[in-house]
Amino acid sequence: MVKFTADELRRIMDLKHNIRNMSVIAHVDHGKSTLTDSLVAAAGIIAQEVAGDVRMTDTRADEAERGITIKSTGISLYYEMTEESLKDFKGERQGNEYLINLIDSPGHVDFSSEVTAALRITDGALVVVDCVEGVCVQTETVLRQALGERIRPVLTVNKMDRCFLELQVEGEEAYQTFQRVIENANVIMATYEDPLLGDCQVYPEKGTVAFSAGLHGWAFTLTNFAKMYASKFGVDESKMMERLWGENFFDPATKKWTSKNTGSPSCKRGFVQFCYEPIKQIIKTCMNDEKDKLWPMLTKLGVTMKSEEKDLVGKALMKRVMQTWLPAANALLEMMIFHLPSPAKAQKYRVENLYEGPLDDIYAAAIRSCDPEGPLMLYVSKMIPASDKGRFFAFGRVFSGKVSTGLKVRIMGPNYIPGQKKDLYVKSVQRTVIWMGKRQESVEDVPCGNTVALVGLDQFITKNATLTNEKETDAHPIRAMKFSVSPVVRVAVQCKVASDLPKLVEGLKRLAKSDPMVVCTIEESGEHIIAGAGELHLEICLKDLVDDFMGGAEIIKSDPVVSFRETVLEKSCRTVMSKSPNKHNRLYMEARPLEEGLAEAIDDGRIGPRDDPKVRSKVLSEEFGWDKDLAKKIWCFGPETTGPNMVVDMCKGVQYLNEIKDSVVAGFQWASKEGALAEENMRGICFEVCDVVLHADAIHRGGGQVIPTARRVIYASQLTAKPRLLEPVYLVEIQAPEQALGGIYGVLNQKRGHVFEEMQRPGTPLYNIKAYLPVIESFGFSTLLRANTSGQAFPQCVFDHWDMMSSDPLEVGSQASTLVAEIRKRKGLKEQMTPLSEFEDKL
Amino acid sequence: MDLASNYEIDRTAQFILNGHFKRVALQFPDELLRDSTRVVRALRDELDDIEIGLFVMADTTFGSCCVDEVGASHVGADCVVHYGHTCLSQTSTLSAFFVFGKAAISVSDCVKSLADCLSTSEKPVLVLYGLEYSHAINHVKEAMEKELSSLRQSKSDLVLYFVDVMCTVMNPSTVDDHPESSGCTGANGTSSNCKRTGSSLDVRFDPKENSLAKDFLHHKRVLMRRYYLVEKAKDANIIGILVGTLGVAGYLHMINQMKDLIAKAGKKSYTLVMGRPNPAKLANFPECNVFIYVSCAQTALMDSKEFLAPVITPFEATHAFSRGSQWTGAYMLEFRNLVASSQEDDSDTEEARFSFLQGGYVEDHDNESKEKPVEDGERSISLVEATQRALQLQDSNPHSIVKGTARSGAEFFNARSYHGLEMHSEKSVPQPFVIGRTGKASGYQNEKENREIL
Repeated sequence: MVKFTADELRRIMDLKHNIRNMSVIAHVDHGKSTLTDSLVAAAGIIAQEVAGDVRMTDTRADEAERGITIKSTGISLYYEMTEESLKDFKGERQGNEYLINLIDSPGHVDFSSEVTAALRITDGALVVVDCVEGVCVQTETVLRQALGERIRPVLTVNKMDRCFLELQVEGEEAYQTFQRVIENANVIMATYEDPLLGDCQVYPEKGTVAFSAGLHGWAFTLTNFAKMYASKFGVDESKMMERLWGENFFDPATKKWTSKNTGSPSCKRGFVQFCYEPIKQIIKTCMNDEKDKLWPMLTKLGVTMKSEEKDLVGKALMKRVMQTWLPAANALLEMMIFHLPSPAKAQKYRVENLYEGPLDDIYAAAIRSCDPEGPLMLYVSKMIPASDKGRFFAFGRVFSGKVSTGLKVRIMGPNYIPGQKKDLYVKSVQRTVIWMGKRQESVEDVPCGNTVALVGLDQFITKNATLTNEKETDAHPIRAMKFSVSPVVRVAVQCKVASDLPKLVEGLKRLAKSDPMVVCTIEESGEHIIAGAGELHLEICLKDLVDDFMGGAEIIKSDPVVSFRETVLEKSCRTVMSKSPNKHNRLYMEARPLEEGLAEAIDDGRIGPRDDPKVRSKVLSEEFGWDKDLAKKIWCFGPETTGPNMVVDMCKGVQYLNEIKDSVVAGFQWASKEGALAEENMRGICFEVCDVVLHADAIHRGGGQVIPTARRVIYASQLTAKPRLLEPVYLVEIQAPEQALGGIYGVLNQKRGHVFEEMQRPGTPLYNIKAYLPVIESFGFSTLLRANTSGQAFPQCVFDHWDMMSSDPLEVGSQASTLVAEIRKRKGLKEQMTPLSEFEDKL
Repeated sequence: MDLASNYEIDRTAQFILNGHFKRVALQFPDELLRDSTRVVRALRDELDDIEIGLFVMADTTFGSCCVDEVGASHVGADCVVHYGHTCLSQTSTLSAFFVFGKAAISVSDCVKSLADCLSTSEKPVLVLYGLEYSHAINHVKEAMEKELSSLRQSKSDLVLYFVDVMCTVMNPSTVDDHPESSGCTGANGTSSNCKRTGSSLDVRFDPKENSLAKDFLHHKRVLMRRYYLVEKAKDANIIGILVGTLGVAGYLHMINQMKDLIAKAGKKSYTLVMGRPNPAKLANFPECNVFIYVSCAQTALMDSKEFLAPVITPFEATHAFSRGSQWTGAYMLEFRNLVASSQEDDSDTEEARFSFLQGGYVEDHDNESKEKPVEDGERSISLVEATQRALQLQDSNPHSIVKGTARSGAEFFNARSYHGLEMHSEKSVPQPFVIGRTGKASGYQNEKENREIL
């Protein structure tokens, strides 16, 4: 039975202080979706009994099948707080009704782009951590992302049931484990601290940490217990809460609190004494079916069971009892309402991160104050496939103003530049929709601070966009999202029947929309390429493409392919020269590797073509030891004018040099996109123009003469500077018990991986292994790993860096040269590399 | 083979006499130019009429396969005799006579290889051949008939097609008489032919080696590559139309059609005449994102990694610039067919265009051009807008290295860092002259000295 209607929901949407937008983030398999279920259950959308088994937010068949979340799903919940429980709430509020827009996100690294999209449109995050496995690599990644977006986190230590049933640990030991988990999380949060966001660390004694068992649908914060005991001890709640965590011990024999364990057997830590032990006892009684003991205990706790529930036995009884005693929804939702910011509060400090334009214009002001009467600012963070095939909902968040059905909006795409018409459309919103789990409800309008789905804009938005009112021509877009993963694995697709090509094209277009990360492009050879973050990601994308987006047409896919980069090891052994076709112009160049870290700095955008030259030269001279004057002589970056290679002018007193600059730049853009080795992108190469001889007549030193020459001399200087290939490398984190370690090492050795960290998780038999693994070797890696460790090891791979392959591609028979030959063959090029003599000319 | 038979002197003379031509242009490709004087002498002897003027034409501006009508009209010729390899493109004003030349071929070996091929092949076989072998094709046909009758006893469903022998005389008025005079030419032209016929050709008889060679497997690859170029062309803003012929009938119409198409797509076009394009020539126009090469079918497919911007055919351009057209794999090279097929398709969807090169929606300028008439209607506002545009900040950050994509040549040059010579009026005093370099481009004087020192 649904307890609330769309109209009710719509009403609360106007109460901007009573809205909480939050995402649930965690490592894979730490129980996000299951926990989300129990929250949804409280909202009345699914029955309480099946909570934990349904995975409400896993709407896709393959999600249910694999037991993992693939797409992030939004759901709106309604929660009414009692007046009494709100009496300590200090912030602003309008009544007791709360609207919680919840987004469940996937935990697998391959889908972390979904997390990024979810974080953008929320203000708070519920970080779920498995109490046994602790903080894992993905926990850290998503936490870092959340803090980068200025998302305030709260923590829940999940899978408490494992402590009681599976591991049967003692109170003190459990406390130590929990303490460590929380500490680890806090270490990460402290690292990425942000002055505007304030202290983000979580403290159980402040109520920002919950303890939950998603599977059984119960959870508590120390607030729950503090309330229970405060009256008994005659102290106020906050005092009681402090005592329930940390170095506070209670001896029931003496009825005294101490800050040290007195050593007497009855002296126990507050948490153990008052929280852990009672739960343990109840669970034990339930499991042992000692009903005669159970009922009095429950009465004492003020828990009343329905008569039909009293007939349950074992686990079902335990689940029921715990759900009634400590309902997960109450604990978690209260924690969110108390400690996570409302949109009105969050947008005050998030505006800096969000808005690209000047922070003193009306748009920034409207976002800052979350003004429903202000101009519309809406960010579409992802596209969700609609039930009628081929169409999409644009899912996003209203940051200011109101979006309504029929409203004409300006759509500013990711390439929009204010003042220009590029990537800009004006269209009408056909329908505004809010999401309630599997159901969608149309509403008249949605005010700021809420998530919303829009119909009718999907033909103009690829992945994300900023929407504003038609008339607001001065608005700047909201900053594009930054993803933590990159699409490094590629596969070429082709249709089985040549005449299906239009279907494939249409399918790829839809696929590109449906996933924030996937990139659908076309190769020089005419092959269509799908690029994703990893093997699993690609698998899901291909499945979607075939099943949903192509109308049943069959496709042929190639083996996964990895793209390489070309770089140089040393400075060119000599200055190389190339002559123009008319032999009247000569370019002299040298190549050298960029300083360590510089290519990464360019990738991150710390150094780039748009910088102020003064700032750029300061960074280059201070961090990378460049000469100050030299730093001002950078001609360009490339490929695509922003890539991690550059051309620097080292000439002295050359006539007409500025005249050929544009031609050299054009030649460089071209050459750096297709390196001399295998036509892969170049990376980390600095080309120095050493000298130039030009014809005195302008007509003989035009683009036609200089552009091809610049390209040739760049190739020649690359080939004389010990060219090398760079391959992408994954950071792999594997968690496994000790006995599986042998298998893991075996597989890693076989796959050219190398372990750089092995750590035992304190208090568990589990080991954490971190290793580097070439992406090209990662295909089939997880299957092989599972086979070799009898399924005990589960790897998480995320692109980490480019690694130089030590072998010389110019040396016949070397590993790199065979690789180059393979790539060239695949691209339909001559298998033999063009020799240096083709590019270099002699006087 | 002697000159008279190789160059078909008697047939040529017959053609000239029958047509009562008084001024005849003889067009030779570069590789046959050495024979030209002997051919003229032989013809003169054969014609025995001093009234008839014979003119030798060489070094044609565009591909030597096309009849150079412009060159011929310079001497006021009334017909052209074309020697060597030709694309048989329709001429627009002059009559033409084609002499293909005769290359040696072993008929028996050829027939044997064909029979082998036929007996293993499941599908019908189409025989394409180079023009220089057309003299032998009748012998091959006869010999094959005999072979076939013996082969049919074992396999009944053998089908063998020969491409028709094309006309060797062309008259501008007979266009309708020979609509199917599609030329099938030497090895270099065969791949473009098989694209036209759509058949999958996979063997080739090499008359020099007397054997069958399999080397046309890349034909699908070429087609895929063309597909990529079309996708790339869709992203182009400035398009150069290269005039690659002045002889093929309808080229002017084609150029105008291309201009209209580009203008309709909201893009900018420039028409360029540069003879045979090469990378250096094309790179002189770096503002063009793509070139359309309007030429005869034989030379139309130009693809080289050396080109800065892709060069596409009018057919591909039609694909790239008309919305809603889909690449089906069917291909057309001759624009005669394209003129006919230029369909008026109104794309019903107003969806933005998806670029596979950029992996997302890109704007199309046509929505802008559609808005224009509305703007003109509101006179007062348009004036205001014009004045607003008149004083616009051109470049917000002149030191920024990145420039936006240009939409016209003027915009492109505006974005360049070099705008031409800068006059410094305050320095009006003439500079003292300095001695420049002397010597040749291969090594100037001062460089020679340097080298000697080294």
